[in-house]
Amino acid sequence: MPSLDDYKGKTPAWCPGCGNFSILKVFKEAMVELGLEPHQFLIVSGIGQAGKFPHYLKCHTFNGLHGRSLPVATGFRLANNKMPVIVVSGDGDCYGEGGNHLLHGIRRNLNIKYFVHDNQIYGLTKGQGSPTTMEGMPTKNLPFGVISNPLNPLAFAIALNCTFVARGFAGDQEQLRFIIKEAMNHNGFALVDILQPCVSFNKVNTYEWYKERVYHLDNTYDCRNRVLAFEKALEWGDRIPTGILFRCSRPVFEEKIPFISQTPLKDQPFEIEKVNKTLKEFFV
Amino acid sequence: MQGNTAIAESAIQAGCRFYAGYPITPQNEIPEYLSWRMPQVKGVFIQAESEIAAVNMVYGASACGVRAMTSSSSPGISLMQEGISFLATAELPSVIVNVQRGGPGLGNISASQADYFQAVKGGGHGDYKCIVYAPYSVQEMWDITQLAFDTADRYRTPVIILADAILGQMTEPLLKNKSKPLNQVKDWSFGRKRKSGDKPVVIKTLHTKEGELEALNYKLFQKYETIKSKETLFEQYLVDDAQLVAVSFGISARISKSAVNILRKQNYKVGLIRPITLFPFPSEIIHETASLGKRLISIELNMGQMFEDIQISSQGKTEVYFYGRPGGGVFTPSEIADVLKRYL
Repeated sequence: MPSLDDYKGKTPAWCPGCGNFSILKVFKEAMVELGLEPHQFLIVSGIGQAGKFPHYLKCHTFNGLHGRSLPVATGFRLANNKMPVIVVSGDGDCYGEGGNHLLHGIRRNLNIKYFVHDNQIYGLTKGQGSPTTMEGMPTKNLPFGVISNPLNPLAFAIALNCTFVARGFAGDQEQLRFIIKEAMNHNGFALVDILQPCVSFNKVNTYEWYKERVYHLDNTYDCRNRVLAFEKALEWGDRIPTGILFRCSRPVFEEKIPFISQTPLKDQPFEIEKVNKTLKEFFV
Repeated sequence: MQGNTAIAESAIQAGCRFYAGYPITPQNEIPEYLSWRMPQVKGVFIQAESEIAAVNMVYGASACGVRAMTSSSSPGISLMQEGISFLATAELPSVIVNVQRGGPGLGNISASQADYFQAVKGGGHGDYKCIVYAPYSVQEMWDITQLAFDTADRYRTPVIILADAILGQMTEPLLKNKSKPLNQVKDWSFGRKRKSGDKPVVIKTLHTKEGELEALNYKLFQKYETIKSKETLFEQYLVDDAQLVAVSFGISARISKSAVNILRKQNYKVGLIRPITLFPFPSEIIHETASLGKRLISIELNMGQMFEDIQISSQGKTEVYFYGRPGGGVFTPSEIADVLKRYL
């Protein structure tokens, strides 16, 4: 059985008090509880403070291009669909630079778990507005306030019939651990938007701000009802629901490619004889 | 003024009224400055969702006849290459600032000159060129930005300002020179007022009719020939009696100049040629200098990119050496002085 020590990585260079610390802690705990060892899965990340996440753990790591984690993860899964693939990204990386890839990733429904550290700001470049920054909020690049509507990632994902859609909060470790484990056990694409206060550059969406607003979806909530889920996804303001908003089952992309559903591409033999036989047919 | 802000304010003074960009270090001060400065002059600032979007927003604004600019740093500029190829083909004026950082890949945020090939030799697909300026001081960041908008409009072509992390971040005194803005009616643009029955404007880069694309390419290269004959800029420093001449651009030229000064005090005969335009490259002066038997050494913050253009220009008339450091490593004047001494 793995232990938390197995996951010990480099000391994080995040600001003291950053919401990423609790996500990191909870993630490790979830992996230990799931009995997963660091060599058994891959984390793909892009650019941003969240992009550093796998460096602060011990696991297989693919730190790729800004916004392109999902295409990398897609290529990886199609070449090796026996290894679980997790993508860790931020709101800028996932919803801005990588927005187009998210759309098509959800459509394909590969078995990829996408955890988005959503702090509603660009942290790495020090305080510019991100796709989820609230309208009207002054930022470094929009000193008179953001003039675009923020993206609602959960409504977006539910509209696309994403097979697992959840929202967690870095300040609610118990629920976040539950969501991460559920996402890992889900067969298909999972989008988990994690509200994560940025203590340095977002002075509006603070721990207090979130704590006053977040509430758990209770046991009576039916996460298989897509219309209800969409309604819940639109709830943002005085009250913000957290938990699993939506789940459904759709065939997984990898299973639709018959020859990799049994043996991963990486283990397929290179049968030169077969090619030769076909080639010879052309020389008759 | 800081180098990055000098570019931003100079763009405003040059009449730039549209800026689109995406955050990346070490050029963030350009968008940050323009985010509040643009509204003051009734210009538009927009933070794009990606560099790909930013360069295409410039593509659209430029087609309306507005002076438009974007800026980024190396990895972001890579993303813009598709758009730059289209801007060059559609002959739309635009200014693209690259505050270079260490590469390849995500690299680091230290100074580098490793995007020389990308800027000068194309970067995107197809036969095209961008005018490429290499400032070496905050003053030149200002002056060249003024010039860049003029040449972009004059030749209807994208212009690249190739700076780097040090130039972008350093602060120096500055004279706010103002170029005379070109008073040009952009007849070709969507911006011109039209009557009904006027020919509509078509911006396109697809030319499938036989010979059409070939003709366009010849036209572009005729334009590039004019640019070569009229826009080449360089500085010569203590070259007349020099036995060894450093050829260097941007921040490495700044460092090399200090090295030349150190050695001159010790009576070594060294000089410097500093290309200010990288395209058009000052081939003639390099060739002349080589023909006089002076030996040349290329000094760059990369593994030898401009070096190749110096070799081509000198056509075997003299020996050409190279010294450089990649990956964000930066040399000091005394380090360069030692290198020069080795080749004297």
